[in-house]
Amino acid sequence: MTRRTGLVSVLLAGTVLAAGCGSAAHQPGAAAGPVRPPSLSTSLVTTTGTWAVAVMGGSAAEHNNFWQLFVRPAATGKWRLATPPGVASNGGLVVASPGAGSLVAGFRPSQDLSFSPLATTHDNGAAWRPGLLDAALADVPDALAAAPGGSHLLALLASGGAELSGPGGTGWAKLATRRTLAASAAGRRCGPARLTAAAFSPAGAPLLAANCTHPRTAGIFAYTGGTWHPAGPTLPATYAHQNVSVLRLTTTAGTTTALLAAGAGSAARLLAAWSTGSGTHWALSPPLPLRGAGLTSASSGPGGAVAVVLTGNHAQAITGPAGTWQPLPPLPPGTATLAPEPAGGWDALAVHSTRLSIWQLPPGHTGWTATQTISVFIQFGSSG
Amino acid sequence: MPGMNSGVNVNDPTVIAAFKSALLHQGLIALLIFGLLGLTWVTVRAWWPAAAQPGEHTGPAGPSAATVEPSWRQVLRIGFGLLWVFDGILQAQPKMAIGLPSQVIEPTAASSPHWVQHLVNWAGTTWSYHPMQAGAAAVWIQIGIGIWLVAAPLGRWSRLAGLVSVGWGLVVWVFGESFGGVFAPGLTWLFGAPGAVLIYAVAGALIALPERVWHDPRLGQAILSGLGLFLVAMAVLQAWPGRGFWQGISHGQRGTLAGMTHDMAQTPQPGFLSALVSAFTRFDEAHGFAVNLFAVAALAAIGAAFLTGQRQLVRPALIAFTVLCLADWVLIEDFGIFGGLGTDPNSMIPFVLLAVGGYLALAPAPEPATEPAPASPAATAVGWRDRVRPASLRRSVATASLGTVASVGALGLIILGAAPMAAAQASRNADPILAESIAGSSAALNFPAKGFQLTDQHGRTVSLASLRGKVVLLTFLDPVCTSDCPLIAQEFRAAGQLLGATSKQVELVAVVTNPVYHQVTDVQAFDRQEQLNQVPNWLYLTGSVPQLQQVWKDYHMTAEILPAGSMIAHQDVAYVIDAAGHVRQVLNTDPGPGTTATKSSFSVLLADAARQALRSS
Repeated sequence: MTRRTGLVSVLLAGTVLAAGCGSAAHQPGAAAGPVRPPSLSTSLVTTTGTWAVAVMGGSAAEHNNFWQLFVRPAATGKWRLATPPGVASNGGLVVASPGAGSLVAGFRPSQDLSFSPLATTHDNGAAWRPGLLDAALADVPDALAAAPGGSHLLALLASGGAELSGPGGTGWAKLATRRTLAASAAGRRCGPARLTAAAFSPAGAPLLAANCTHPRTAGIFAYTGGTWHPAGPTLPATYAHQNVSVLRLTTTAGTTTALLAAGAGSAARLLAAWSTGSGTHWALSPPLPLRGAGLTSASSGPGGAVAVVLTGNHAQAITGPAGTWQPLPPLPPGTATLAPEPAGGWDALAVHSTRLSIWQLPPGHTGWTATQTISVFIQFGSSG
Repeated sequence: MPGMNSGVNVNDPTVIAAFKSALLHQGLIALLIFGLLGLTWVTVRAWWPAAAQPGEHTGPAGPSAATVEPSWRQVLRIGFGLLWVFDGILQAQPKMAIGLPSQVIEPTAASSPHWVQHLVNWAGTTWSYHPMQAGAAAVWIQIGIGIWLVAAPLGRWSRLAGLVSVGWGLVVWVFGESFGGVFAPGLTWLFGAPGAVLIYAVAGALIALPERVWHDPRLGQAILSGLGLFLVAMAVLQAWPGRGFWQGISHGQRGTLAGMTHDMAQTPQPGFLSALVSAFTRFDEAHGFAVNLFAVAALAAIGAAFLTGQRQLVRPALIAFTVLCLADWVLIEDFGIFGGLGTDPNSMIPFVLLAVGGYLALAPAPEPATEPAPASPAATAVGWRDRVRPASLRRSVATASLGTVASVGALGLIILGAAPMAAAQASRNADPILAESIAGSSAALNFPAKGFQLTDQHGRTVSLASLRGKVVLLTFLDPVCTSDCPLIAQEFRAAGQLLGATSKQVELVAVVTNPVYHQVTDVQAFDRQEQLNQVPNWLYLTGSVPQLQQVWKDYHMTAEILPAGSMIAHQDVAYVIDAAGHVRQVLNTDPGPGTTATKSSFSVLLADAARQALRSS
């Protein structure tokens, strides 16, 4: 056998060996990261009505997805479209209530728009007053918060910082960045990796939430007396080796509600936490094991009720500090978010392209009932 | 891939007409070049026949008369020369000037790594800035190289043609074929790996080899060994698991090969070709494993036979390889020119030419004549001063062969294509034809512009009358718009920069077209976003809704509030108002997709319009 023939033989053998393995399949690995924050789809209760945010559209194309705002006025009990006019909503909508039935909506930027127009209503969306945040709101449902009485707004920015407005939602000033928060005494105990939510305490102190790099630490901070103070719940020792994410932080009717995630991957668990004061005393819910499911939406309601929509059309709800997580009946297909009913129970808002279907689950019922359908006229291509 | 696509419709009649016109003009110049060269050659030979000595027909760079070009070189030279000419003709397709970056380069680079996309994007953007010149350059350069290869059989001119073929081939391989897709997943010989033009470059390198190696039988072995090694490697790759070639169809999903041929069959082409490719697709769907096993075995066996370098094995392998290549060319590559905007007949014909060349180079070649050829006066001339003397030049022309004359003409053709492209690249601004094709051109107008009084971004009152004495470029922008308005604003800013010192005589003015968001804080935020707050001659005007509505009415604008999260709908228009307050042009400023090329093109168009208005003021 010559050298040339030998080389040919080796190459042929390699080819044959490789061919023999031809039917092997690629196995995707299982996700093992921390719980991802929920989408912007959520609901919010004010004294005069309930609001919900959902994305609608005709294709997977980013600019053909239009975020919509819906309201169910307490007086009528019927949902209707209330998206503020004048700005493309393709980047997303976030909402906050300054109380007394008012609502502030913030447009997340999209395409070449780099700042966030705002819109305020005092009449359930019949009329809107324009405003402006000369920065981009973060892509989280609690990127915008309003102080009780509407004196100030707090915005979490896509750049990672937070700004506080002057009276009337004007005159924005920098309040914090992740770095300044990390440098504070409170921040050093947390090691904030990323700011995740903004809110006000029932007393009107700005609150910021962060994902902590230090285990067992729920990164919620209150800004009082010109400095940041730790204001999150203390977690039991069972979480000693688990990092904690703050997924939602909202204040409604004197109660601050936080939705936390501890651990990662299939071992991750959700926890709801409630505080009625300045953040020194919290009540913690029992853990809700996710078992590999993802969180797609989270909403809160009166009395500290919390509902979460999980992947696979599953949902769980808890009525408040005294309750336990209860599975809801399998959700209607396309459910984007859940909104609390005034008399207890939940509404499921399901989206199919340009049609919104409302399904109701009254307290004690075991199945969802379709109650309303809204067709939204979307000008596809109008923002491309 | 931002920046690569010019954003202009490939069927745009303005662009197609301009491309055809450029090709026609340059074609006439090409004819003139060849005509003049031929005339000079014939004239010199007729007037000074004594200068033309028998046996000195190759010119100053030519070899001795005893030199015989081996058959393998003839095959490569003429074969690849004709391929280059064919590719050049394909480059003259009307859609090519605009379509090449978006329909050829971009899809090829899409699955390649980021750095490849970045490199290719740069080239695509460069092309998109001057598509007429780039498109015409590709045509003439490739036809020029082809003619040169065919016309120059011997001597330095011939070898130089091979080197030029290598150079241009590598340019096309890197920027046009994204390195032939060798860095992308799914690489396979069946689809054309490692890229047709790389084979052109290899052939060019072989053509450029010095004459002393032409008759060395080891050359044939080297060519076939290289090809054989490559084919065996391709067989291994073809057999590699998890790449989708072993499955014809699985869970309703086509395998890689069936998916590719299915897509090819959908592209516009004669019905019988589509039917052939579709039939093969169905066959592969049903027998995917067998098809791939055959491909792996064939590639490995042919590669192995080539590697041996033994003629009795190479000969049948060559026949099998030719059949395999032709089958692949028809059934999988769809002749290379039907799967979209074809730029070459793909890799199979070049592979066959290379393999035939390698086989012919194995054969014992006739020995070159041993007796030295008589030295020609031209060959013995020393120094360039002697060569450029009239008598020496006359002798050179008179003794040149027709092939040499054609080669010089081909070189002229290459320069004809490359020179305008190089000159265009010296400008950092895109051709305004892109903007004209998107927006159309404006007729010359002359009527008084309606006056207005609004508030600028600093809160100051500004009227149109107060701008008298300056040219006003007036547009209408929504401060919270997400797409067109920011692009138009950038084009205005760039137009101001293009105007240079003249910009002091030009005012760039925008009026708010949002009836909801029209506060001074809104326009200030927009100005900061677009970095217009540093532009001294920029005015963004707003006012109360009734004030704005009056201006919109006077300038035929509508600002419609659309429901459900849509932007305000309004027209994209710019009024060019001269220093006397007269409207001279109304330009459609719809920016299209707003690529770097179209933005630059619109800026040039706006700056040109301002200059015209200055001249007419």
